[in-house]
Amino acid sequence: MNSAFMEAAISLNNDYVREWKEAGKKVVGYTCSYVPDELLYAAGILPYRVRGFGATEATIGDTYFGPFICSLPKAMLQLAGEGRFDFLDGAIITPGCDSMRRLDECWRKAGEDISGILPKFFFHFGVPHKYADYTVKWFIEEILRLKADVERHFGVSVSDDRLREAIRLFNKSRDLLERFDGFRTAGNPAIAGTEALAVILAGTTMSRDIYVKLLEELLETLEQSRGTLKDRTRLMLVGSASDDVNLVRLIEGERAVVVADNLCFGSRFHADRVDETGDPIEALAKRYLAKNECPRMYGEYDGRLKMLIDKADRANVDGVILQNIRFCDLHGSENGLFERDLEKAGIPCLKIEREYGPLVETGRLKMRVEAFLERIGQRRQSA
Amino acid sequence: MRPELKEYKFDSMLLSTFTAAAKLRNGSEKEYRTMLKYIPYFNGTVTAVLDTGEPGQLFIECISKYLENYITAREKGFHNAITTFCFSPGILYAMDVYPICLEVLSVAQTFAYRRGTAEFLDFCNEVGYTETSCSSQRGTLGAFLAGVGADVDMVLTDTPGVCDTNANAFAFAAAYLKVPFFSLDMPPVLSEARSDEYHNSDFRALIAFIEKHTGRKLDIDRLRTVLREIERQEELVAELEDLARMVPNPLPVSFNLMVYATRFLFSGMKECTAVLESMLRVASDNASRGASGLSGSVEKMRAFFCYIDHYTNSLRLWDFLDRNGICYQGNILSRSWSNMAPHVKEYRTEAAAYSFDYGDLDAMIRTMALHNSRMPMIKSIRGPYDAPDMWLQDTLSLAKMYSADCIIYNGTPGCRNTWGMVKLFARDTEKAGFPTFIMYGDAFDDRVESWEASQDRLEEFLRVRRLLV
Repeated sequence: MNSAFMEAAISLNNDYVREWKEAGKKVVGYTCSYVPDELLYAAGILPYRVRGFGATEATIGDTYFGPFICSLPKAMLQLAGEGRFDFLDGAIITPGCDSMRRLDECWRKAGEDISGILPKFFFHFGVPHKYADYTVKWFIEEILRLKADVERHFGVSVSDDRLREAIRLFNKSRDLLERFDGFRTAGNPAIAGTEALAVILAGTTMSRDIYVKLLEELLETLEQSRGTLKDRTRLMLVGSASDDVNLVRLIEGERAVVVADNLCFGSRFHADRVDETGDPIEALAKRYLAKNECPRMYGEYDGRLKMLIDKADRANVDGVILQNIRFCDLHGSENGLFERDLEKAGIPCLKIEREYGPLVETGRLKMRVEAFLERIGQRRQSA
Repeated sequence: MRPELKEYKFDSMLLSTFTAAAKLRNGSEKEYRTMLKYIPYFNGTVTAVLDTGEPGQLFIECISKYLENYITAREKGFHNAITTFCFSPGILYAMDVYPICLEVLSVAQTFAYRRGTAEFLDFCNEVGYTETSCSSQRGTLGAFLAGVGADVDMVLTDTPGVCDTNANAFAFAAAYLKVPFFSLDMPPVLSEARSDEYHNSDFRALIAFIEKHTGRKLDIDRLRTVLREIERQEELVAELEDLARMVPNPLPVSFNLMVYATRFLFSGMKECTAVLESMLRVASDNASRGASGLSGSVEKMRAFFCYIDHYTNSLRLWDFLDRNGICYQGNILSRSWSNMAPHVKEYRTEAAAYSFDYGDLDAMIRTMALHNSRMPMIKSIRGPYDAPDMWLQDTLSLAKMYSADCIIYNGTPGCRNTWGMVKLFARDTEKAGFPTFIMYGDAFDDRVESWEASQDRLEEFLRVRRLLV
């Protein structure tokens, strides 16, 4: 695999971001998969998914957030406070969940105390929690509000044609990622879950046209290679935001391979396409509101369960790891339901709660994963 | 969960408890005092409420009636719905759906039983619901998940966009119990025409949902009757709130709880109006005599609770306040946001309030939608806390208007939406001149921090800040 993917996945201000900035162009960070990247890209701005990767302490995060809060936004704030997002020209905060929406106030207030850490463009993007004609209407207006603010602040203009062009490019990357999924889910996967997550993550940190080229090259390589990951236990990774390739590496070890996921930093991005006909804003609103399989969309559990079972079937998984970051009640509780219903459907599950950030719990997690693999192994033997 | 707890329906047990409590005063004073010895974990609540006289008696009867209503709804040909405190039940009563408010039932259990809701809290975790979720819903939710509550027809909430952990509790309940679910969604801004339109469309979808699952059409006359009752209740609450501005405050400490609890139970119904009218009579009488509502008659200081109260251990918080001459100047739950509310008039924030319009069905639905979108917490804790008409502005306005000497935050560790920024919020209220205290306990679960520890910390705050000399 091209090392560019991994490098982009494990560094914040990577070469691609630096090159983009050196060309005098702007970068806007966003915190949630409900923000339509296409809009920023059409404005000539690099959409950059803000992450917490690399935070080694929480001194700043804990100063502003309360104690009972998910460690992901705390890690993001920590990095912002340390100046590691200084390359951002803007940030978009969404009510993805309560912890994440409070990043708005915490980042702003930290910006009053620590000079220079708050991007000049700072936008609260109101995303509805359900899909209906009136929520789509709201979301269209919200995207238009974002568009107007981006245009005003950065002195750019986003035409419908530019937007359609961006939609086509992003859809193309989704097509390629779907093909890429085929190499993950094959009988003998050609790529491990660790590298696969890096490939997907890289797309959130680099220019989409470069990303498409890199994906095409990768697919060519994969087509010529043989699946090497034989006889491994096939797992699917589900749950809270996870952008740490080391977590997947820990899970996979020498005996398992993560062949599928349902993570907002993972394959949720290419789960569907934006309609390329008709009004582009409406198309973005419909796709981003309807096709993001996140428990923040309340009352849609049955649909998400069906989607997971279908995914597990397609990838022929031996088991599912349901993980959530502590204090993530949305994923944590839904994982409880998934565990009940997937086990009922004959799919073994491991439910783990963890902290976001450096793998301080490596031993405990490793032991639980090993025990899970044992369980799956015994199940196979007795089958 | 202990097997004996599964022997009886928890809500039927609670009904028996409150029905018996409502009869305590039927005998002589001596009989009453003797009876209190037999309810050692409930007598604090009983005395705090019943000692207020008629309002307390009506309030206890209200709780009893509420429980009976939803428990027997199905056998009477009606429906019931699990719902939340900040969901105005008016529309449900107008459509013959009896609400089952999880948080109020959690409070009722913490009032009545030494165990509070501990075993139901833990049962939730056993079936996969996170232990970090808010205890206010979890305490009663566990009973329904364990099958020791009444059978449920549907689950309704209105907190997406305001409180994840609340909304998530209801979504989980619906998925677990496999019953229909509907949520009203709250956009991050309040006072914009497009937000009003959103609330209105969402509320219409709610009505369509209820009609579908009950097979009953919304009756315009019933809706009008309920709305008129809500309007009357808003007038009464406005008068009570006006009286609370007086020095000394003529409202007994427990009135605040009774105001909001009664509205959560019976908004739009005569039962609520009766309690409010009775409270107003007592408060007006005290006011006419210049008497404080505190049992010791001496008002030493005034505290404004910016979020919720602490309910465990048989109303020990109220006892603490009353005993120390601390006047309770309200919390976020007790405020009404109709355009006739005193604070709305005082600060000219009518644009963020709602008004009553009986013009036609559309106008009434719009009124209900806006009423619901201005319920406690729903109104103030959406969007950034420091945005216009949100939590900071509301708190500072109310604390100033009601002459509070300090601001106290109490919640639950499950409250992601406030713990996400309460430190910043407290920094701002301190800057505005209000000594502010953050309580770290759990309003519904004494195991997180004992009331004694919470009280120690609160006393320390009052002492160090020289508020209670």
